[in-house]
Amino acid sequence: MAVDRKLLRIGARALAFVAAAALAVGTVAAAALVPWPEHRAEVPSLEVQPAESRQLRVCPGPLLALGEDPTAATTASSVGSADLVTATEPSGVALEEVPLEAPGNPRAAEDGSPVAIAAEPGGVDAGMLAGAQSQTVESENLSGFTAAACGEAVAESWLVAGSTSLGRSGLVLLSNPSAVAATVDVRVIGETGAVEAPSALGIIVPPGTQRVLSLAGLAPNLTSPVVHVTATGGGIAASLEHSVVVGLAPAGIELTGATAAPSTRQVIPGFLVPQSGGVEATEDHADGDEHPAVRLLAPGDATAEVSIGVVPESGSGGTTIEATLQPGQVVDVPLGVLDAGAYTIRIESDAPVVAAARATVGATTGQTDASAPGDLAWTVATAPLLDAAVVAVPPGPSPTLHLVNPDADAAAEVTVASNGSERTVTVPAAGAASVQLEGGASVVLRGTEGLYATVSFAGDDQLASFGVQPPGPLDSPIRVYPR
Amino acid sequence: MFPRVTAVLVVRHGGDHLAGTLDGIRSQVRTPDALVVVLAAADAQAREQAAAAGATHVVELQEPLSFGEAVRAGERVLDAPESDADALWLLAEDSAPEADALAALVAALETARSVAVAGPKLMEWDEPERIAGMGRTLTRLGRSVPIVAGELDQGQHDRLSDVLGLDPAAMLVRHTVWRALDGFDPALPTVDDALDLGVRARLAGHRIAVVPEARVRFAADGVAGPEGDGRGRAVRRRARAARAAELHRRLVYAHAALVPLHWLSFLPLALLRSIRHLLVKRPGAIAGEFAAALVTMFSARRVARARRVLARSRTTGWSSIAPLRMQPDEVRRRRQAAAEARRARARGRTDELQFLGAGGGWVLLATSAASIGLFSWLIGATGVGGGGLLPLSGFAELWRNAAYGWRDIGTGFAGAADPFAAVLAVLGSLTFWSPSFAVVLLWLVALPAAAMGVWFAASRLTERGSVRALAAIAWAAAPMFLAALADGRPGAVLAHVLLGWLVFAVLGAATSWAAAATASLLFAAVVAAAPSLTPALVVGWVVALAVSGRAAVRLAGLPIPALALALPLVIEQVGRGTPLGLLADPGVPVGGTTPTAWQLALGLPGGGWGGWEELVRAVTPLDPRIVASVLVAPLVLTALAAVFSPHLRRALLALGTVLAGFATAIAATHVSVASVGLEVVPLWSGAGLSLAWLGLILAAVVALDALRRGAAVIAGTVALVAIVAVAPSVVAIATGAVPLAPAGERSLPAYVVAQAEADPRVTTLVMEPERDGGIRATLEHGTGATLDDQSTLDQTRTELTADEEELATIAGNLASRSGFDPEAAVREFGVAFVLLVPATDDAREPTQAETRARTALDGNASLVAVGETDFGTLWRFAAAEQDAAAARIPAGAGGWLSAVITTVQLVVIGATLLLSIPTGAGREPDRRPVRRRPRRRFLPPRPAARGAEEAPVEASVDRTHPTADAPEGDDDGR
Repeated sequence: MAVDRKLLRIGARALAFVAAAALAVGTVAAAALVPWPEHRAEVPSLEVQPAESRQLRVCPGPLLALGEDPTAATTASSVGSADLVTATEPSGVALEEVPLEAPGNPRAAEDGSPVAIAAEPGGVDAGMLAGAQSQTVESENLSGFTAAACGEAVAESWLVAGSTSLGRSGLVLLSNPSAVAATVDVRVIGETGAVEAPSALGIIVPPGTQRVLSLAGLAPNLTSPVVHVTATGGGIAASLEHSVVVGLAPAGIELTGATAAPSTRQVIPGFLVPQSGGVEATEDHADGDEHPAVRLLAPGDATAEVSIGVVPESGSGGTTIEATLQPGQVVDVPLGVLDAGAYTIRIESDAPVVAAARATVGATTGQTDASAPGDLAWTVATAPLLDAAVVAVPPGPSPTLHLVNPDADAAAEVTVASNGSERTVTVPAAGAASVQLEGGASVVLRGTEGLYATVSFAGDDQLASFGVQPPGPLDSPIRVYPR
Repeated sequence: MFPRVTAVLVVRHGGDHLAGTLDGIRSQVRTPDALVVVLAAADAQAREQAAAAGATHVVELQEPLSFGEAVRAGERVLDAPESDADALWLLAEDSAPEADALAALVAALETARSVAVAGPKLMEWDEPERIAGMGRTLTRLGRSVPIVAGELDQGQHDRLSDVLGLDPAAMLVRHTVWRALDGFDPALPTVDDALDLGVRARLAGHRIAVVPEARVRFAADGVAGPEGDGRGRAVRRRARAARAAELHRRLVYAHAALVPLHWLSFLPLALLRSIRHLLVKRPGAIAGEFAAALVTMFSARRVARARRVLARSRTTGWSSIAPLRMQPDEVRRRRQAAAEARRARARGRTDELQFLGAGGGWVLLATSAASIGLFSWLIGATGVGGGGLLPLSGFAELWRNAAYGWRDIGTGFAGAADPFAAVLAVLGSLTFWSPSFAVVLLWLVALPAAAMGVWFAASRLTERGSVRALAAIAWAAAPMFLAALADGRPGAVLAHVLLGWLVFAVLGAATSWAAAATASLLFAAVVAAAPSLTPALVVGWVVALAVSGRAAVRLAGLPIPALALALPLVIEQVGRGTPLGLLADPGVPVGGTTPTAWQLALGLPGGGWGGWEELVRAVTPLDPRIVASVLVAPLVLTALAAVFSPHLRRALLALGTVLAGFATAIAATHVSVASVGLEVVPLWSGAGLSLAWLGLILAAVVALDALRRGAAVIAGTVALVAIVAVAPSVVAIATGAVPLAPAGERSLPAYVVAQAEADPRVTTLVMEPERDGGIRATLEHGTGATLDDQSTLDQTRTELTADEEELATIAGNLASRSGFDPEAAVREFGVAFVLLVPATDDAREPTQAETRARTALDGNASLVAVGETDFGTLWRFAAAEQDAAAARIPAGAGGWLSAVITTVQLVVIGATLLLSIPTGAGREPDRRPVRRRPRRRFLPPRPAARGAEEAPVEASVDRTHPTADAPEGDDDGR
């Protein structure tokens, strides 16, 4: 009997153990499998719409030339003056034009100086202020037509243009329209990597002043420079003046604004090729600047595999060029033999890149010193526009607005209002459209969200363009978590 | 002339006592000449018995009047005394006189005319050889004490004659004197009535004698004098009546000029005596203390009446009382005897923990060495930072932050403090010269402190050193504990350290008030450090109340200190509709990966596999999940084996704890209430896991304790595997691969800290890019936020306050190009500095937000760039002022509420603290259960022994000393 009871007891205990173990496993399983109710607190935050502020655009001012005055060879003095056009929405707002000091320019009093155009807070809609300037020069050393948009003063800008090889010269224009001094670092990157130029670091640009640096002085003998400008303190509106002399004859001039910030995707709209021709992308010795080419730099630490799509604005055809970018080294990629016309260049990359494209006019291969001078243009990558944009069109030969719709699914309807007349332009999905404008006009675009835009000028021997950039993010709403 | 003796018998209940008393009266050698029976709301049986007693008069009263009033009613029916020799014999239903008692008493009155009152020697009813009472007297300070109590009668007191007062039962009083003195004082219904009569008789020139030859058996049923019951309630009622009587007599006997002074002293004295009650573990007496003081203070009419009666009859001075008072050396002698008796009682009672004998010393040494090995990089540091750790404020501010009032976090607001702030204040006060160092100390001693807590808790369950060591080691090497240490979660670390001690104290609370009070303080600390444990702990408390029988009294108050600390917070959180916010982990919210149920089941709260994933993948093709699970299995299986133990209830309680802890951990992963920037921070599941782990360990202890052999081997194996299971975490901590680092005293740039020297309220607006492209904007004052500044009330608020919206607007505009007046920051919040913290990840949005803010701040003409610092880029407001008014803490932020709440909290915590001081050794009755002796293997296998095995001795046998709590015994102060 005692044995029976003992067995019974052992059996009961074993059963209890198994039950406990089963309960444990069951609990864990229930915890894992049952969708228990959840409580997740919501994070309180506030979207802050910054108060309206004085809006400001800086126009680079008259073209400058080094050594115009033989007694002061390092002084950049102005050559003529630029025509300035402004545009606002609503139109007719009184704008303040504040001339910036140009201490290095002895002819500033005659030719004028860089100008900051400013609208009082609330005067214009957010971001709806634009200015642009154009200038034609014909001198012993300079000839050509330039057009440039007045830009915002920012902390960081990329200038992708120019060259300091034989016959090419460049000037970096640094304008500080703000009320505080800006400390500017200018770094030049070339085809072999970054150029050591300690003198270009820590440049002080006093408030309301423009300073001019010679690109050749910083980085001589670079075929493909990219200039990276960073500023602390006040913001800087940077532009690059680039002029070419072939032999003894001037062969073009261009004033280029900042291109879009590094990104894995860049769009260069409205790239104008005035004459058919070019160099195949595979050509190893594509020297000179007569052929259409795109300049690329991957500023990061990684090699970038880049695919460059060149599509005519008509939408038919197009080529794709593959290239590999070593980090920190600039490459000029020839765009192949292209027919005359406007093109859209789309760049897709696996690492952020900056880009701009170059074209020339009137400078056929084998040109001699005495032949007609040509001109060149750098077309920069732009950032996508907001829903509305305003464009100032300076006087120049056949100004044209190029719109690119990156959306592969839906066409965009853009209203173009200029001088009281209104047009509607359809930009096909993944396509482009161009609109003829009048010089000196003020154009208001609506329905442009996500589109890219450029204004180009083309004459017989004149070529220029500037990108239509959206206002900087600085006055867009920002979400704040005060905890 | 032959004196006439009238016996007045007061009856309430019939029964054996009354029958014995009536027999005693009937069998007197000298019978009383008349018998008046006073039925004071008596029951039917009493009435029957009284009717059969042959009483001269029967007086029926409807109300249960006091003995004195009942006698007065009985005396009213009598004729006026014919001579001084006529006497009243005051009897109660439970005072049975021996045959010659009245004769002896009458003889005493006859032989000495000066004797007005004569009393017998009262003997215990059930033990007639033990003296129940033989006269009372007063100490010099007016306390009533028995002359003899509870002694065996060996005739040692038979030479006693003159006394100051008597016990009321069976005293013989001259009828004339009774009338002259107006009987007993109605204000003294139970206690000291006869003593007071004696005092007044003495002052009227009479003597009071005790007659040892007259023996009366007395049962103390509560008819005459207080009830002699040993139960808590009766003891408390008696103590209250005694105190009320003493205070009443003090007002009556005092010189008229001193009465107001005495009156004013009552409440302060009650307070002081309450403190003493706490110290001697008699918390139940406090209510009576105050009730007695208040009732006496507001009974002016009765005092006036008593003073009038006294003045009327008094013929001699108070000096006639003096010789009969108890002399100071006698008081001292009694006090020494009581202390000696306490010591004797305490001697056999100290818990046999055998700290050194059972290897506790070795466990302490081993865990200390392990702690030093783990945190060698902390040795010599003055603070520790990273994870959820911040410095602590200075001593004064630390305590200010523990009280209701201004919460100096962000824009600041007035509200309840986290109970955790109080814990931090206590912790920081340990190193009051540098409170932050206390956190370093906590990290250094956490391991041994936790291990020791569970070692002691295990010592309540087992006597085996090996099993206790297993418990301590498995607790110190608990994965969630090491995770909390590595992450820098002070709340979780404290909760883990204290949980073991809480179990130790709760297991002791059944027998001791000191342990119960300690447990309630530890409970408060654990709940404060890990509020997510509250539901589980409250359930545990209710279960403990249900299963602890009479010990429930001491457990009932367990949550009181916790409630006192948390109540203001509870009211605010519930009031604004965020009751779940009460569960928020206090301190800096630290986010992390949410663990899966499987990981939680392995005790891993960090969302990983305890560091096994890299290690296992690098070495073997095994699944790291399997490896981590296998390493936890031995402990779990041992714990489940607890169901084999004969202590099934213990086993089930321990396994229930596992379940509660695991459920808490699972629930914690489903609840997130606090937010930092745009991060929502889930509750730390480690606290619940700590509880589950504790249950596992206790279950394993119960299981191994039941083993006859092999327990040491199994314990060793389980402990070893438990240590191996956490090896990766241990290596990570020891090599410093954790977010913690020895830190200085600051969390802001040195430039700001230097400014804070001159201006302690210097305000810095800190902007931090968030991953959605927004910014987090917070205000820091002085040298930066501290751990005690943190407030769950702030972290769990679901809406922004007006101040926060204002701050957001200012920060948003500062980070933009804006027409907003940047000086608003200075005006509204006294901001002097703006610090832009670099984005922590390289994604596009935070980088853009950082660039945007940097550009905007750089271009702001009201800001002067200070430069890059270790913490980010710093700007200074040109218009910033020293000691800006907007940055100051508003004076009187908490208002009167702050004072009230703080006072209540201090009183509750202070009282618990006093009660927890272990001065009660020997004062408290021994409530320990009889300890089961460990079975010896060489015991002869007798059938009886086997029977004992099957029916475990768990019944708690109370070895209660009924008189130990009696207020007379050791009450010697005021």
